[in-house]
Amino acid sequence: MRAKLVTSLAVALLVLLAGLWLVHPPASRANGERDEEKGGHAHVPAPLEYADVHVPLSVWTDPAMIALGKEIYATRCAVCHGDAGDGKGPAGLALPLKPPDFRNKDGVAEMRDNYWFWRVSEGGQVEPFKGKGSAMPPWKGQLAVEERWAVMAYQHTFSGHQGPHVTWEHPESVAVGRDIYAMACVMCHGVEGKGDGSVGPMLSRRRAPQPRDFTSAEFKFRSTPSGHLPTTADLLRTVTEGVRSAGGPMTIGLRGHRIMPSFGHMPKEQRLEVIEYVKSLNRGFWERPGIKTVAVPAPPPFTPERLARGRQLYADAECSACHGERGRGDGPSAPTLKDNRNLPIAAADLTKPERFKNGGRPEDVYRTLMTGLAGTPMPSYADSLEPDQAWDLVFYVLSLSRGGRTAQAGTR
Amino acid sequence: MTKALSVIVAFVVVGLVSAGAAGADEAPIAGTVKAIDASAQTLTLQTTAKGKTRDVTIVLKPDSKIVKFVRATEPGKTGFVEQPLTVADLKPGWVVSVTAKHEGGNEVAEIVKVVLEK
Repeated sequence: MRAKLVTSLAVALLVLLAGLWLVHPPASRANGERDEEKGGHAHVPAPLEYADVHVPLSVWTDPAMIALGKEIYATRCAVCHGDAGDGKGPAGLALPLKPPDFRNKDGVAEMRDNYWFWRVSEGGQVEPFKGKGSAMPPWKGQLAVEERWAVMAYQHTFSGHQGPHVTWEHPESVAVGRDIYAMACVMCHGVEGKGDGSVGPMLSRRRAPQPRDFTSAEFKFRSTPSGHLPTTADLLRTVTEGVRSAGGPMTIGLRGHRIMPSFGHMPKEQRLEVIEYVKSLNRGFWERPGIKTVAVPAPPPFTPERLARGRQLYADAECSACHGERGRGDGPSAPTLKDNRNLPIAAADLTKPERFKNGGRPEDVYRTLMTGLAGTPMPSYADSLEPDQAWDLVFYVLSLSRGGRTAQAGTR
Repeated sequence: MTKALSVIVAFVVVGLVSAGAAGADEAPIAGTVKAIDASAQTLTLQTTAKGKTRDVTIVLKPDSKIVKFVRATEPGKTGFVEQPLTVADLKPGWVVSVTAKHEGGNEVAEIVKVVLEK
């Protein structure tokens, strides 16, 4: 009886100690964490300023770039990351947060190119790596963009992967976004992102707008010039704010007559993950040489003179042909308008800025005027309006919702 | 039976506790050199752990080693070798990793390894 009691107590004590060991590892003054070997290199989405930096495909297999990368790696990186890329350089071994093993195919495959570039550029000086005690130095001040690409290309060789390091070669790098897409987007945008989901056509039957085809080059809501793909920030804005609609039975319940719901409630990291997946459906994001965006200058003060000039520009640019004299979307051309899928499309009712698909704030209207809405009859006026003139027109457009009296900010 | 079990439990407890203590002592402290006091033989490191940045003072003893890693220059050798340094060689801004022991309320360096010179 007594032996049983002692045995039970001994087992209980062992279980308790094991539990304490797991919950509270031995007190350590070190600034690493016990899960650093894996979790410390969590492949979080790159921030917006790096999200559009996709490495040109040829870099990964270009012998000259790989040779340059090897040279830089040997002098700057190997002391921590090891000559063999195994993360076992003599200085790396001394760190609480160990450098990653570039020979680990799975680990490398999970890293997107923009994440990789961000890590090389900023090192451990940014969160979440700074908070984990990363000693990785930022190289953006010492290595040019091409040099950082070269180092990445050389590091990539350790993994044994032969082709370019891109999402369609490594679908695991966008697995999180793909799962979110499957739950939240596939119904409208379709399995392959071609805008052919089962619910899509019901939103506005045989009429525009239809869900976006992510595989095409046409994206309506952009800060980039007409005909260009959007930035990640543009996509984030659309995912976050959704797309307004003129209304209709299928938009009831989507707050504020949204034909695409707002995903602002979704954590930003998840929104960025799904955007990375969406980008992976279109190789154009990797093939564009550079990104130009249309800057939105600060709005000038509103004056009656500006409003008058805006009214004149509205007439001169023949906005009324589609939008109507009073901006109600009832111009003489309105019934004939079609989008690039040859579907009838309504001209926006400018008296309802709260329903503008690209947003009704002054800066949104400015951006729409200067970039146009690709795939619709709404052109870009970037070549015909000076910024100051564009602001005049913005003031006039926004005044239409108030009978032309004022031009205060609309709402999204 | 009971005695044997008690001995096993005692060994396990002692083993766990000593392993924990050993782990704590051997774990390195990495950070940026913030200040060097050559007369007091101390280094102040700025370290970050679990999202919090703090300063840690490291005491250097005569037998504390300070090294950096350089490429071997001997023919046929390709890896890195340790190059001894003195405290006067260290500079603020350098990133170092210190293996230290907790003695008398101080962190006493066994070896300071230079990770990055800035």
